[in-house]
Amino acid sequence: MKSAPFEHHEPTTVDEAVSLLESLDGPTILSGGQSLVPMLRFRLANPDVVVDINGIDSLDYLHEEDGYLRIGALARHADVEDSSLIDETYGSFADVAPLVADPQVRNRGTVVGSVAQADPKGDWGSILLAHDGEVIARGPDGERTIPADEFFLLPYDTTLDDTELITEVRVPTPAPREGSAYHKLKRKTGDYAMAGVAARLVLDDDDVIETARLGMTAVDITNARATDAEAHLEGERPSSELFEEAGGLAAEESNPESDEHGDAGYKERMVDVLAQRALGDAAERAGLVKRRVSQ
Amino acid sequence: MSSDHENAPEADTEYQHAEDDGPQPEKHCGHGRGGMGEEVSRKEDKRFITGRGNYVDDIKKPDMLHCEIVRSPHAHARVKDIDGSRAEAMDDVVAVLTAEDLLEHDLATMPTLMDDTQDVLVNEKVKFQSQEVAAVIATDRYTAKDGAEKVEVDYEVLDPVVDAQDALDAEAPLIRDELDDQEDNHIFDWETGDKDATEAVFDAADVTIEEDMNYQRLHPAPIETCGAVADWDPGMDKMTVHMTSQAPHAHRTLFSQVSGIPEHKVRIVSPDVGGGFGNKVPIYPGYVVAAAASFVLEQPVKWVEERSENIQSTGFARDYDMTGELAATEDGVIEGVKVDVLANHGAYNAAAQPTKFPAGFFNIFTGSYDIEAAYGSLTAAFTNTAPGGVAYRCSFRVTEAVYLIERLVNVLADELDVDPAEIRRRNFIPSDAFPYESATGWNYDSGDYEKALDKALEMADYEHYREEQQRRIENDADKLLGIGISSFTEIVGAGPGEQCDIAGIEMFDSADIRVNPTGNAVLRIGVQTQGQGHETTFAQIVAEELGMDVDNISVEHGDTDTEPYGLGTYGSRSTPVAGAATAVAARKVRDKAKSIAANELEAAEEDIEWDRESGEFHVAGAPDRSITITEIAAGAYMNHPGGEEPGLEATNYYDPPEMTYPFGSYIVVVEVDRETGEVDFEKFVAVDDCGNRINPMIIEGQIHGGLAQGIATAMLEEVTYDDNGNVTGGDFMNYLLPTANEIPNFDTGHTVTPSPHHPIGAKGVGESPTVGSPPAIVNAVVDAMNHAGVSHVEMPMTPDVVWAALDDAGLAHKPAQNVEFEFDGASGSADD
Repeated sequence: MKSAPFEHHEPTTVDEAVSLLESLDGPTILSGGQSLVPMLRFRLANPDVVVDINGIDSLDYLHEEDGYLRIGALARHADVEDSSLIDETYGSFADVAPLVADPQVRNRGTVVGSVAQADPKGDWGSILLAHDGEVIARGPDGERTIPADEFFLLPYDTTLDDTELITEVRVPTPAPREGSAYHKLKRKTGDYAMAGVAARLVLDDDDVIETARLGMTAVDITNARATDAEAHLEGERPSSELFEEAGGLAAEESNPESDEHGDAGYKERMVDVLAQRALGDAAERAGLVKRRVSQ
Repeated sequence: MSSDHENAPEADTEYQHAEDDGPQPEKHCGHGRGGMGEEVSRKEDKRFITGRGNYVDDIKKPDMLHCEIVRSPHAHARVKDIDGSRAEAMDDVVAVLTAEDLLEHDLATMPTLMDDTQDVLVNEKVKFQSQEVAAVIATDRYTAKDGAEKVEVDYEVLDPVVDAQDALDAEAPLIRDELDDQEDNHIFDWETGDKDATEAVFDAADVTIEEDMNYQRLHPAPIETCGAVADWDPGMDKMTVHMTSQAPHAHRTLFSQVSGIPEHKVRIVSPDVGGGFGNKVPIYPGYVVAAAASFVLEQPVKWVEERSENIQSTGFARDYDMTGELAATEDGVIEGVKVDVLANHGAYNAAAQPTKFPAGFFNIFTGSYDIEAAYGSLTAAFTNTAPGGVAYRCSFRVTEAVYLIERLVNVLADELDVDPAEIRRRNFIPSDAFPYESATGWNYDSGDYEKALDKALEMADYEHYREEQQRRIENDADKLLGIGISSFTEIVGAGPGEQCDIAGIEMFDSADIRVNPTGNAVLRIGVQTQGQGHETTFAQIVAEELGMDVDNISVEHGDTDTEPYGLGTYGSRSTPVAGAATAVAARKVRDKAKSIAANELEAAEEDIEWDRESGEFHVAGAPDRSITITEIAAGAYMNHPGGEEPGLEATNYYDPPEMTYPFGSYIVVVEVDRETGEVDFEKFVAVDDCGNRINPMIIEGQIHGGLAQGIATAMLEEVTYDDNGNVTGGDFMNYLLPTANEIPNFDTGHTVTPSPHHPIGAKGVGESPTVGSPPAIVNAVVDAMNHAGVSHVEMPMTPDVVWAALDDAGLAHKPAQNVEFEFDGASGSADD
């Protein structure tokens, strides 16, 4: 990696990091480096100053607390993959963690870094959207909580201020009858998604869908929710028919572009497929018994 | 083709192996000393696995400088001005070199292996994106890169042409306007076979079929990119270049010719090489720039490519647009084959192949089949893309030929509704017809194609999968099953020198064996390993032939100062050519050992017998009076027979009388997801026949690696360009290499049909799997859909490509879960 020269700062506390962000000219934050380092290597990013947060030990956590699953800024993808907390209860987390890039990237890359990068092909944004997640940011004026819904603006652009550091992303701990899942289509291990869909369902005591969320990857200018599909699902009992309708609506709501991963029409169709698959798994994880119809 | 040759000894087939594939390791021969057929652990692995390999980038020299190349962002542009002053003003930048500087030393251009002339640094006009425009030499590699960013180049951008067909259009921009007689982008036309006879067969045939297919542009993508450390020693007037070379001796000759430095004052060392696959056969501008810079600055200069530089500027492979036709009887007996090819050669004609073969060995396209008439024509074009046409893990263009014929045979089978296994059986060259001369003039040494196919069919449980396939079609299942076969024939082991040369040098190879006084030996060979395991397999040949323990033999290669001259390792030629040289040299040593044995045992030389089993010499009729090679070695130096030379050493330069023809049958079973177009491998059977086998474990490794590369070809890899000539598949984010996750388990098997003309009956194997597997995989995917009329799917078969084929054939399934949900106590809605 032959980057252009840059100044390297290593704060050990959040306060120190935030004051560096405020005082330095155009700083770039380095956490896992899985997006930044390739950009430095290609010299697509030529920052004068890099604030390396890897020394802030207080940000290295993944735990449940006060009704949230909290993921600190230094938790790696592999930490999610390996955590005993992440099981069927957090179905979409269990699904996505082993699907992010490859083991080398997962060992270094962080969940928060991926969210901050705001690449529409990133997986974690869809998970946050599907789980009504929040982004916790610290800036010169203190701490701010940004709902995931209000975080993503454009490719690589968010509502985060230049002087703010994301310290945590969090999602509410699952309701008793909640299930979630993530399905991703990719050409190979390590490749970005051709398309991906996260689904979350909460059922009431009569097996009626109380809350439905769908987060989509790589099919719009940001990770995006499929709100029409969500509205269609809520108030209904899960069924193949319902999920087919929801898949179709999600596909209509997506706005993919043709690229090396396939043409737009194909990707829309895949949103339909992946949404149905994710909804099926989510319903099962919410406690329903799913039986495959024999072929 | 054939050639008389004094050097072709009788094939020694006494170590032919049993053909069982059982789990027990083979111990039929080798006699426990690590000879032929033993699974000896690789001698080279200790240093590789413990991180002690010595690659070009590991080499550091005092006062070594670093070179970074400034490359063109444009595919076609006139260079109006280069201003290196801002870079030169940097503290640690030592020099900025341009074509102008190289012209002073007559190093501005270099010959390609096909006798074209390529700019080392662009003189006047850029012809492909990432072409070398200038070089910055600095005291460290970071500064060199910073300096390269500061070199300002003023380009006049010209219209590029990327597609070969477009390049041949009369209106297309002229790429090679510096060549005197070049008025268009046409390079050459080539034809093979008998056109009239083939047309006659087609006219009279019951059935003809035709299929267009593209063999996409690939890059060999070795894990180690190309690089060099050049070190001009003004005291010795000698240039030493450590470089990533598959052919160090040939490269020394070329270096000498390009630079004017006498050949004995040029030393090329190819240290450990991290994969070549054909990519490290050509000479690249970076090597020449590093050498020129070292010569001018009188300091060592290192140049090592970045990954994207390797993919974007060094030798690609394939890029053949092919139309193939077969003529057959209604019973499926193939009578004729016709091929037309448009070849994209990039901006220079820089294919790496024997000079008399402008299309390589592509005319092996009759494959494993006894076909009466064949005709092929090919046109090659210049385009504004990187030059290349290297043999990526294959003999020169045999991969394209095998893909073509193996796909065509399947198309014919579909047309006639004959099982693809059966149609192959009806057309194989019979095992008793060898040596066999093909319609395009190749002389196949040996083969038993039906045996390999039968074995593969059995291992694959073929009938079971055919039934399952039918069941799924009838049930309209979400996942279709496809079964693909490829019964390929390779052509490897170039020379003979009379037909095959690299830049005029005949394609022989060499071995030199010296047995030391203490009874161990050094083998020096003219070929160069890039991971094939030469240090082990070649030692095994010597162990076998001299009755020595394999641990007592070391193998040296890659240094032109000490090794005998050879043409290098590519085209699976090491075992067929240098392996033969090793066996012949060992037998020469054995002959001399015999006379020393006679002296030591006080018997007549004609009474001395060599016992392969014990590895000892003894007096005929008196097995107790025996002597080992260790004792003989001592005698050669300490008690040598009067009238003979002391020492125990022999050299052989081996010019093969013929090429060798390994073959095999691969059977691939895939599941195709009708909702997404994803392809999963259900079963992957590979039966190979490479003649007598030296180290079955290394062969197994070679097969696994080659199959992985074949899967990569069929499913993932392609160097893509946009219309402006920008490389859009020029890094590992876009040029998709498979990981272990994309590679299924392989069931490997083998048959043994020795080469009759090779001294140890071996044929070479490294490339068979890369050559043979892509058509098996494509045949499998097409087979899953051909009941609905699909006759072809282009590579790489990414999910969107397969889904489009499904959709066109009306096979795509509208997504549906096909599930029912059970609610508390009661069954819920029941769809589907």
